[in-house]
Amino acid sequence: MSDTVESLDGGLAGKNALVTGGSRGIGRAIVERLASSGMDVTFTYLNNEAAANEVVEANPGLKITGVKVDARKSDAARECVETMIERVDTIDVMVNNAGVIRDNLLPMLEDEDLEAVFSTNIEGVFNFCRAVVPFMMSKRSGRIINISSVSAEKGGRGQTNYAASKGAINSFTKSLAVEVGRRNILVNAVAPGVIETEMSQSVRDLAGDEITSNILLKRYGLPSEIANAVWFLSSDLSSYITGQILSVDGGFKM
Amino acid sequence: MSNLEISQDSINSIYPKVAEIIADALGCDEDEVKPDSSLINDLEAESIDFLDIVFRLEREFKVKIPRGKAVEDARGELSEEEFEQSGVVTDAGFEKLKSFMTEVPADRISSPLKSAEIPKLFTTETFCKMVIREQQG
Repeated sequence: MSDTVESLDGGLAGKNALVTGGSRGIGRAIVERLASSGMDVTFTYLNNEAAANEVVEANPGLKITGVKVDARKSDAARECVETMIERVDTIDVMVNNAGVIRDNLLPMLEDEDLEAVFSTNIEGVFNFCRAVVPFMMSKRSGRIINISSVSAEKGGRGQTNYAASKGAINSFTKSLAVEVGRRNILVNAVAPGVIETEMSQSVRDLAGDEITSNILLKRYGLPSEIANAVWFLSSDLSSYITGQILSVDGGFKM
Repeated sequence: MSNLEISQDSINSIYPKVAEIIADALGCDEDEVKPDSSLINDLEAESIDFLDIVFRLEREFKVKIPRGKAVEDARGELSEEEFEQSGVVTDAGFEKLKSFMTEVPADRISSPLKSAEIPKLFTTETFCKMVIREQQG
């Protein structure tokens, strides 16, 4: 891969990343993108061990480790971070990607639809950030990248719970950036538009051409295009960017 | 736990490491860190630095220091209402604090004292005592 854009390491080679929800979709693309820059990447998955194994097996030669962790549990997040620190000494990049979707019209939403979305999408971010920030503070260095969504800013039918959780991620990102900026910890979010993943399949099926006609680039995004944005925010090339929400949506929000 | 149970010898025994940790966390020279340095007033620490220092002390000395423990210990048997009212330390609370934080030079503690200003009193030795208290259980 020499002399290609993909071979740029952005100062990431030899560093360590932790990615939540890394066994499929956007998370998997992020894991593979960071690992291909020479990072030692640990990713978490909730249940799908087969998919997690597939990520490792599909990338021989890259440093990728999958661990089963429930991001909704603060103790589990703390243990995951401490175990990783024991193994690799530092966590340079934390990507909070784990998320679920339970779309439905508001009156139809069940309590568990709220619980599932908020506990994973936002409590999971709190749990991992609380665990990892003290280590980054001690090192006076670190990158935290939270995966938000275009839904945080663009209203979507059936998305009140999901949109609220992603809006919370945006607010969280800005406030944490303020708290830890002095310690050289950069906190940003990437807000994907509609990306071709299993998770967005139902949304895409439901909307048909209605969505693509409203996207300036007239197509859905690819997981690798989100991973490239995360790579940039992880790399030395983004050393003066913090507290930002980077939209990667093909112009969907405009 | 009474303050009297912490001897100067035990403070001295961990002081060099605690001073080193504080210097590391605040990015200052170890020479600048004195036993009676106020971390906020003399070493320009911010509240988030306290979290970092406590986190480093916990890892170094293998203890768990609950957040807010220092003020809780200082309050002793006094209830929150007896210790402070409307954000100001009561007379009883003030006496309690003075006898508890013997490491703080007397001229730095004056009444009325706002409870939000208590962290300004914390010195290097305050953190030594925090660790020792947890070591002693």
